[in-house]
Amino acid sequence: MCLGIESTAHTFGASLVDSQDRIVTNVNSTYRPPVGVGIHPRKASEHLASVADEIVRTALSTKDDSSVDPDVIAYAAGPGLGPCLRIGATVGRALSSFLKKPLVPVHHGVAHLDIAMSIAKARDPLAVLVSGGHTSILVHVGKRWRVYGETQDITLGNLLDMFARDAKLPSPGGLSVSKEAAKGENMIKLPYTVKGNDVAYSGLLTAATSALRRRGNLADICFSLQETAFAMLAEAVERSLVQTRRSEVLVAGGVAASSRLKEMIGSVAEDHGASFHPVPVEYSGDCGAQIACSGRLAYESGVTVSTSDSLVIPRWRMDEVDVPWIPRN
Amino acid sequence: MDTSKLASTPLHRGAEADLSLATIGPWKVVIKRRVKKEYRNPSLDKQIRHDRTISEASIIHEAKTSGTRVPSIVGIDVENDAIAMTHLDGTVARECLDEMGINEARKLLRSIGEQIGLLHTAGIVHGDLTTSNVIVSPSGAPFIVDFGMSRRSIEPEDRGVDLHLLQRSMVASHNKDASSMMNAMIRGYEQAAGKKVANSTWGKAREIARRGRYFAIR
Repeated sequence: MCLGIESTAHTFGASLVDSQDRIVTNVNSTYRPPVGVGIHPRKASEHLASVADEIVRTALSTKDDSSVDPDVIAYAAGPGLGPCLRIGATVGRALSSFLKKPLVPVHHGVAHLDIAMSIAKARDPLAVLVSGGHTSILVHVGKRWRVYGETQDITLGNLLDMFARDAKLPSPGGLSVSKEAAKGENMIKLPYTVKGNDVAYSGLLTAATSALRRRGNLADICFSLQETAFAMLAEAVERSLVQTRRSEVLVAGGVAASSRLKEMIGSVAEDHGASFHPVPVEYSGDCGAQIACSGRLAYESGVTVSTSDSLVIPRWRMDEVDVPWIPRN
Repeated sequence: MDTSKLASTPLHRGAEADLSLATIGPWKVVIKRRVKKEYRNPSLDKQIRHDRTISEASIIHEAKTSGTRVPSIVGIDVENDAIAMTHLDGTVARECLDEMGINEARKLLRSIGEQIGLLHTAGIVHGDLTTSNVIVSPSGAPFIVDFGMSRRSIEPEDRGVDLHLLQRSMVASHNKDASSMMNAMIRGYEQAAGKKVANSTWGKAREIARRGRYFAIR
């Protein structure tokens, strides 16, 4: 059994995954900032610290009220908000030294892909990771994920969250924007920026928020923002897919919960004869299960860290992590 | 011109356009037709295809005039979002690079760099420069194709994106030593564009790579 601890941003999660890659428990608590305000790192970390104890206890307890001793402890070492990362790392170190079990550092983004590949059954896909922290198109070459395309400025999750914050819509922004978008129908012209396999969203954010300030129709702005932002990414995915010729397309991360985005990228995959593997909604957002899933795979590949070296890495690129367990069996 | 009634045979399916072969007068031509994307909102889709068709044709023509090795424009079909251009004989660099010896590959990259240098000097950036968009003629001369994402720009930022993309496609698609390949490329680039432009473009390319999120600053 591998215990995974997630605490990179707004969510504290703990989860047990067994040696057959089955998710046994998955308990999470998410900090929600007030409407119109972003995540304050200290406030988020205070929330994480306050729920950590109960979440870990619940994740470790079985149906008959006894407690499981995990064989491996995995924690999200980065990337993320420093104050938040340190909460999960502290819990991980404490459990590891108390239970005398190995400690495994996990890359949060790699973990998003690992759990998506486990559940959506992808072997060696073109991976699209869309969240508040990442907007990347990746392929696995050699031992690592290689970035084929990515955002040159803010992420897709950032774009939707920051727009929602300006529009006084509740968090998570992606969900709020998509609810409003369902009521819109008029396409407003917004900047569409695809540079090769990369996208850039900051111009789109500025244009959308200034349309808001000019008192444009909120539903139409949300509709146009979503259509434009997703189409940009879908186009970058299509280019990458044609170039890499992968036969599977995986979509993972918090924004993968969006049905419109899945519809678009699914259509790209189908058009080019690739199978489509979207992560199920319940595992798209940050959760303990992704860390447990990735931690188990890393441990089986021999990755562990001593307590004294178990640092957190707030800025940590996906293509700097060895991921020898892909292609998956 | 109207390309819809031309007898043509499919040649290649790209990300945004279908290529087919046809004959117009004495020319063997490639018809590049931008196809409707089901995933895109219809009005957004129409706008993008229309704008890119016109911009691509005029930029290819301009590049040709500047002396860069590119296809020649034979005609534009605005109604069907299609361009007719001369067909090029040769192999896609993506295909032939991995079969080459290291010295031959370096020579090709240097020659590719020279073409990019000419293009940039003419005030054009390609916007989607990968080894899939370079066709190597039987005599070994590289031609640059697919100007669908290209723009007129003399900004070091935009020029940097071109080299950044080429470098990334070298790293991601080929198992050759990417840094030695890129060194050869930049020497050719410098020869065509001059030392000053070469330094600023290459500096930007490295900056763009670093700008990706979570890239550790070393």
